Amino acid sequence: MKPVNYKDGLDQMYQSQGFPPYKWSVFDSSPWAPFDKHLDQASIGLISSAGIFRDDQEPFDPWAVNDLSFRQIPIDTPFERLRLHHNYFDHRDALKDFNCVFPVHRLKELEKEGFIGHFIPTALTLSMGRLYKRTELQKETVPQMVKIMRDKGADAVLLVAA
Amino acid sequence: MKQVLPPRSTFVNFPLGRECGKPHDVELQTRILKETLELLTTEKEPGLIKDLPYEWHETFNWPGYLKDIQEMVEEEGSEMQEWKPKNNQ
Repeated sequence: MKPVNYKDGLDQMYQSQGFPPYKWSVFDSSPWAPFDKHLDQASIGLISSAGIFRDDQEPFDPWAVNDLSFRQIPIDTPFERLRLHHNYFDHRDALKDFNCVFPVHRLKELEKEGFIGHFIPTALTLSMGRLYKRTELQKETVPQMVKIMRDKGADAVLLVAA
Repeated sequence: MKQVLPPRSTFVNFPLGRECGKPHDVELQTRILKETLELLTTEKEPGLIKDLPYEWHETFNWPGYLKDIQEMVEEEGSEMQEWKPKNNQ
């Protein structure tokens, strides 16, 4: 099955309402940091854009626009304490099993079996639905998240673009 | 994804919200993660988007995506909101 072209769908939806064409980000190069470790000795962090937060944290707005905040979530947080506010995708399966978009249980298992060396004990989440402030995202939000992951010793980060 | 060019990535052709697999399908979720993390050691240059071979159990499309969100919002007792661009940068 061909993948769904969400970009074209969104373009048609907005332009049919009279808005000008959206300038999607297009990069002609890809950043590269060499990875020289064995996976079973590497520390891996998790970042998910599924709008997940803990019950004692500031909620994400499910219809957020330009919310550039993120949350730090201990990976041992029981799923009953997690909330998901993100209405730009059908989140019903994620509510049945957060691992669909926030695979903490699976990563803990991979650490236990030795597939990865270490799973960084804090995961980061943000609410990536409808962020138009791309410059601020790149220059302010992301460096803060990178610093947290670096300070915690991550060798690499898995980004789940939910 | 091709426009964004992440350094190392996999693509799972599932509806949004199931990027790491189907709910409670531990084996599938584990395979997706292993095949993604392995790119750290197999890829020596950036830009690969590796298509993983897993298929969703039914077809899905753009109208279905909008319909599912509408259905979800109604099920949860909320209201749909207009999708209008703001501060387009």
